Amino acid sequence: MHVGLQHYLAVSMILFCLGLLGVILRRNLLVIYMSLELMLNAANLALVSFSRFNDKLDGQVLVFFIITVAAAEVAVGLALIVALFRKRQSAHVEDLTSMKL
Amino acid sequence: MNSSLNFIGMEVSVIGLGLVLMLADLFVPAERRRFIGYLGIGVLGLLLLFSLGGDGSCSTFGSVFNGSFVNDPLSLFFKRFFLVAAILVLFIAAEFSDRLSEGSIAEYYSLIVFALAGMLFAASANDFVMLFVSVELITITFYVLVSYQRSKIAALEAGVKYLILGALSSAFMVFGIALIWGTTGKLNFTELAAVAGQYGDSKIFLLGVLLVLVGLGFKIAAFPFQIWAPDVYQGAPTPTTAFLAVGSKAAGFVLLLRVLFSAVPSVTAQWGNLLIVISGITILYGNLCALPQRNLKRLLGYSSISHAGYLLLGVAALNASGQAAILYYLAGYLFTVLAGFLVIALVLRHLDTEDISGLAGLNQRSPLLAATMTISMVSLAGIPPLAGFFGKFLLIKSAVEAAQLTCNHGYYCLIFTALAGVVISLYYYFGVIKVMYWSKEAKDLTIIELSAPAKVTAWVCILGIFWLGLFPNTVLNMANAAAAVFAVVVK
Repeated sequence: MHVGLQHYLAVSMILFCLGLLGVILRRNLLVIYMSLELMLNAANLALVSFSRFNDKLDGQVLVFFIITVAAAEVAVGLALIVALFRKRQSAHVEDLTSMKL
Repeated sequence: MNSSLNFIGMEVSVIGLGLVLMLADLFVPAERRRFIGYLGIGVLGLLLLFSLGGDGSCSTFGSVFNGSFVNDPLSLFFKRFFLVAAILVLFIAAEFSDRLSEGSIAEYYSLIVFALAGMLFAASANDFVMLFVSVELITITFYVLVSYQRSKIAALEAGVKYLILGALSSAFMVFGIALIWGTTGKLNFTELAAVAGQYGDSKIFLLGVLLVLVGLGFKIAAFPFQIWAPDVYQGAPTPTTAFLAVGSKAAGFVLLLRVLFSAVPSVTAQWGNLLIVISGITILYGNLCALPQRNLKRLLGYSSISHAGYLLLGVAALNASGQAAILYYLAGYLFTVLAGFLVIALVLRHLDTEDISGLAGLNQRSPLLAATMTISMVSLAGIPPLAGFFGKFLLIKSAVEAAQLTCNHGYYCLIFTALAGVVISLYYYFGVIKVMYWSKEAKDLTIIELSAPAKVTAWVCILGIFWLGLFPNTVLNMANAAAAVFAVVVK
């Protein structure tokens, strides 16, 4: 079977939707954060496959930017989640309720 | 190479300033660190003077780095805007420094300056790569700024909520960029505009544009991506909230304008109705939810959602006067909102609560602050002769023009919604004023001592609000020149 652009895009779409489902359905902050990374990597996969099949390099350059930015985001994000865990002894979204009307 | 560096001189100096402020932390004793902020204010003030005087990197028009970074009247307008905002926020931060943990204020200053650098890049972004990186520079810096008071559980919660929803929106945006690039093969806005018309039928391309708009809708807190705003506004330290309300929202709007009117104008022309609906719902949602609020910062969070709706009205009008009105409204909004947050920072910093009742008796405690807050609230509500009134007038005028041109009745519904929103908002804005002047429940009537910089900031905000309301021409001419950028693209 020949594997073409649409197969890669289908995988990338599936990964993106799985990530989105994870963000919506899971209750643990760390798992939610992993799902978010999955969504970013789905976009990376789409960019790389477009790049490969259209013979253009801009997409791969953008992927490097995305990976770098995602790394910075993870560094800050994990620090925040750890700080919250120390205060609350919990990483569940149900416990994020100190601010309400 | 040397010449392209001349174009980004301002951004380079701002990043350099951020590094200097961060290093100054090591050499200045803890009790004197809050004065480091005045160094930052001085340097930013010099940059602002250069840009107003027509020298400096941002006044040399042209594009560099393969067209990804552009200096034009629009970027010039927003760069001045962001510099003014950052200077005033640094003043508020210096006043607020005793609420942050011991000696950590220098880092806070430098983070504000880094966020400013992101906004300056956003003002000049003419390429999806630049757009993505500048948005992330702003957002990631704000994750730290929002949760800066690590000992407060509310600040951490606000930070985590901003983090999750911010990361979600950037994931949408990146996927949207991937789809746009995959279908058209262009990342540059100018090149994309030339070919976007051919892809009007491509579902994948349209989905990509929609996903990018989702990411930007999050930045400006438009419905249905507004869910984070009240919590984050409430939990974040007051100077952060002020910068979030002004800087981050304006950065979202400059990028939104660039994407809609300079990258995909042919798609935008089809989506007028979508923008009308989003604008109307955002106005109503913000105003209705603000009604029962007792927490002052949360109230301003909902009010900022409704103002995003008013600003989107100018986007939905799809004409040059609407774009100019957005810029003018943002300029008025800058002074108005910063005046409000200055008072909140000064009055409520020593109270445990941020309830509106904390302002009780402010008229006797400090007439200047009470007057500042009153003018700010009245201007937010949009009463003449203040800046907020003239901004709303221009926005609604642009929508009327659009309605007459296109005979689209949606515009009349939207104008009616906006006016209804103004009437609703009078209730909660005047509730704040009532507490300051006529509340009987004031327990503490000690006079609030104001430092000289705080007085200067309050006066600058008051004069700014009156100046924009009474003598709109200077700023309006700048806004018109900036909006003319998009007319060139369409031809």
